Amino acid sequence: MLSAGPARGPVRGARFSARDLSAPWRHVDLGLLVVTLLIAAIGLVMVFSATRRLDGGTGVVLRQAFFVALGVVAMAAVSLVDHRRIVDWWPMIYAAGIVLLIGVLTPLGSTVNGTRGWYQFGPVVLQPAELGKLATIIAVAAFLGSVDEVDLRRLASALGLIGAPMLLTMLQPDLGSSLVFIVAGLGMLVVAGVKMRHLAVLVLLGVVAVFGILSSDTLDEYQKDRILSFANPDSVSEAAIYNVRQAQTAISSGGLTGFGFGQGPSTRLGYVPAQQTDFIFTVAGEEFGFLGAGTLVLLFGVMIWRIWRIAQLASDPVGMLLCVGVMSMLLFHVFENIGMNLGIMPITGIPLPLVSQGGSSVLASFVALGLVQSVHMHRFS
Amino acid sequence: MDTDSKQLRLSAVGIVAISLFLALFVRLWFLQGIDRQEFEAASVTNRLRVIHEEAPRGRILDRNGKVLVDNRTSIVVALDREPLRKLDAERREEIFVDLADTLVSFGVPAKVADVEAAYGDKRYAPQAYVPVAEDVTEDVEIYLAERVERFPGVVVERKAVRVYPYGKVAVHLLGYVGEINEDELVARGGTVPGAVSATSSTVEEQPEAVPVPEGKEYELGDSIGKSGVERAYEGDLRGVPGKRTIEVNAQGDLVDVVSLDPPEAGNDVWLSIEVDLQAHAERLLGAKIQSLRGQLVTDRVGNVARGVVRLNAPQGSVVIQEPSNGRILAMASYPDYDPTSVVNGIPQDLWEVLNDPNSGQPLVNWALQGTYAPGSTFKLFTAAAAQRTGLLPGGDEVVNDPGFYVAENCTGDTCEFQNAGRKALGAVSLAESMTVSSDVYYYRIADKFWNRRGELGETPVQDIAEEFGLGARTGIELPGENRGRLPTPQRRKEAYEARPDLFLTGDWRTGDNINTSIGQGDVLATPLQLANAYSTFANGGTRHQPQVAIRVTRAIDVRAAPGAPGNYRLVREIEPVQQGTVTMDPGHYATLWDGFVGVTQNVAGTAAAPWNATPTAWPMAGKTGTAQVNDKADTALFVGWGPAVRGAVPQYTISVVIPEAGFGGAVAAPLAFRILAPATRGELPPACTVEDRAACDAAADTALADSLNDAVGVND
Repeated sequence: MLSAGPARGPVRGARFSARDLSAPWRHVDLGLLVVTLLIAAIGLVMVFSATRRLDGGTGVVLRQAFFVALGVVAMAAVSLVDHRRIVDWWPMIYAAGIVLLIGVLTPLGSTVNGTRGWYQFGPVVLQPAELGKLATIIAVAAFLGSVDEVDLRRLASALGLIGAPMLLTMLQPDLGSSLVFIVAGLGMLVVAGVKMRHLAVLVLLGVVAVFGILSSDTLDEYQKDRILSFANPDSVSEAAIYNVRQAQTAISSGGLTGFGFGQGPSTRLGYVPAQQTDFIFTVAGEEFGFLGAGTLVLLFGVMIWRIWRIAQLASDPVGMLLCVGVMSMLLFHVFENIGMNLGIMPITGIPLPLVSQGGSSVLASFVALGLVQSVHMHRFS
Repeated sequence: MDTDSKQLRLSAVGIVAISLFLALFVRLWFLQGIDRQEFEAASVTNRLRVIHEEAPRGRILDRNGKVLVDNRTSIVVALDREPLRKLDAERREEIFVDLADTLVSFGVPAKVADVEAAYGDKRYAPQAYVPVAEDVTEDVEIYLAERVERFPGVVVERKAVRVYPYGKVAVHLLGYVGEINEDELVARGGTVPGAVSATSSTVEEQPEAVPVPEGKEYELGDSIGKSGVERAYEGDLRGVPGKRTIEVNAQGDLVDVVSLDPPEAGNDVWLSIEVDLQAHAERLLGAKIQSLRGQLVTDRVGNVARGVVRLNAPQGSVVIQEPSNGRILAMASYPDYDPTSVVNGIPQDLWEVLNDPNSGQPLVNWALQGTYAPGSTFKLFTAAAAQRTGLLPGGDEVVNDPGFYVAENCTGDTCEFQNAGRKALGAVSLAESMTVSSDVYYYRIADKFWNRRGELGETPVQDIAEEFGLGARTGIELPGENRGRLPTPQRRKEAYEARPDLFLTGDWRTGDNINTSIGQGDVLATPLQLANAYSTFANGGTRHQPQVAIRVTRAIDVRAAPGAPGNYRLVREIEPVQQGTVTMDPGHYATLWDGFVGVTQNVAGTAAAPWNATPTAWPMAGKTGTAQVNDKADTALFVGWGPAVRGAVPQYTISVVIPEAGFGGAVAAPLAFRILAPATRGELPPACTVEDRAACDAAADTALADSLNDAVGVND
């Protein structure tokens, strides 16, 4: 078992000797670490504001704080292990991810809002899609990082690696998470060197697939509603429009400086559905205004920039691809989530990393960022 | 794949990321920096609800401060739909059935369908209480209050409704209050939630905008004056509604009361009516009409008319006015109805009865909505015109009345016109022509006017009648006033040109002038117009706007009597309004005055016998009228004033009009004197209140007996 935290004991002190310039802890990306912790802290404040008037609201925020603490520990632990060592285990990790995704479709999984996407063991709730994303990024990075050229056969293999967990997630059905697989995979494929003509065909196929899905019965009506409400607000159910309108109303009424913590009327009175999860950005917008919400977006921007920079500096293709995968995943989460809050993206239920309430999401984000730190910290070893 | 190419592709991904973040920032700035106000308004309407609480209306008092219309508390069972919405449909249905059954067991007519309709009524705001049953007993209130668990969402409210201490007295004048309808609401700038009329009402149907005093804005479910004083003085009587601004969460639960403005009662309105005189006039009018009904119609010499018709007297009215300022002292209309029966709205079947011609349309105030041929009462205007134009040299002329008149240069079918019963009256002066009601005297004037129209104009009579207020609304505050009709050659021509199918001719002939001169033909006037015209004559020529209210006050202690001295603060006095003057030569005026006095004081006067039977404390002047109506019995009229004594200020003008009733001198004049006699002697019986029913019934019986024994005047 790995442990984290500042090393104070004499034994560890000896190991991280001041003279060892290649020691991993000396190469932590401080910028990334700071924004990570800041965003998580802001997230806790938001969750507190969004839930404190609910029955058991205090329990929700304490639980979230516990997961943040656990996440920090996990991030530290993962970062201290050389990412190459972790990647060596990719078949096991990937297999575990697939098994969990299959298992959740069986009666072992439980259903919330029509999506069979959670394991529930007493008080512990696990969302396998969150872990599946990480497992897939590791697997694809391991595979593509080990080849010089992405020919058609290898492209097919990579698509297989991405497609399997994506399809399983879609069966839950969890549209937002399955899109994450596509975006993260696409990012890695692009950087790994997929040929432009292959990429063009893939994008074309993707467009055809999207229309195919929308016109088939794969998605429930409410999911189609959410997506279509974006494209054509007149044709969809009142509930979907209500959600979008309430979110924009809350954010907009925050103005430049917001109502202040705990003062946002929509937040206080619960007008925005899912305001502590998918629509938590409305809390930031309403209570802290453009200054607060803009700062949060900026922090995410810094986070993406730092990961991009780490990818650029990575000493090995696997590490670089890991970073690209995590970056694409987080970028999609941030853009899609905040975008749907602002009404420029369709509603698909994916969380805002480190901010939305939900243990699996928080843990997965921290672990992903731990992997990125690991790439950076171990680039000289 | 080389490293450089990978770095290039990574840079491309970076550019994508930067673009996406830029998009987020731009959108965020648009929402919070530019479109903010629009969304902020949406946020406020989201969470704040204004609950409207109606204030008690002001009271209506008579001129001495006696309360004619008061308020009492009505217990209303209503639905608070918020808690009901959270229940499943089955449970809700159970509650509705239980509630309906419970109400029925207390004798309240309630159907499950009514409760369901109230629950689904979209016209009320989601937080507003929707009434299910009004005016339930306190037993119901206690029963429901003790079983809150069993009836979730069922609330019992107390609201103020009208109560009438004198019962039916002055019902037409006072009017009634009802729930505001959608047209009235829209006219007053209100919005109808969930309006179905938005699509059905066209631009032409848009009601005219009515100004609403600041703070007294209406909502659906509010009360509004529908007729009479309640409608005319709505702006004063309506209180300022209370406003409770509450904040609600997404589930619609009350979170906080943001502000609370308590309701403020409306102002009290004092009428010029004297309730004792009003009640007395109504009682006698009703008794007279009842005594007339079914009697055989007699001709003008007292024989039973051929073809035997019975009197219907379907309606009637009395107006008593102060000649010196135009204020109304009493205004009675028959038939009447019980205002207590409409305080919670008018049920459809009752509405039909109240508007049914067979029941005499009890909702109509005939004193100002009814129009009648004025008959001989119109001679005032013909005589005044003949004096002013010089048609009668020196304002008087003695004419021989052989009982009939043959028109000069006559070209029409009918050239001979008769007195009532072709009665020869001999040589009569202008004054005598009034006293004995010589028609021939006026036929001659009308004929001469028509022959000299090139010199004196086509309408000298109509012009003076107009100066006295005929053919136009008097401007009384009460709604629904009829303007009557004053025919002229010009109007006849226009009417014919508009609808040639309805008239034989568009020409005005000698006969038309002759008919008009004695208030027949196309002439129509309301009883109020006649009273106001004779008031104008009685006071020497000043025409006032008839008024029913004299002041508006606010009670200092709302629980004490609102009219008690020292218990009210004046809001405003309602001053008399002069609308015009009629100039008359003093000599001419005296001639006419003598003629009108002779009607009651000269042995030959058409109303001498009834006046002598029930004399007022001082001499009265006036004019009887018996107007012929096609296919119906005659309309009986009397208009007069008193005291008709040189130097004394006239105190009362009275006009009595009863259609299908017979002769003015036999029916209308005796009634007028019997109404005024006790008033002029200070012997008016006090109006009886609803608590004192027995006294009312006894008085009504006496009145009926008296009516059958009226002294009969000359048949005119």
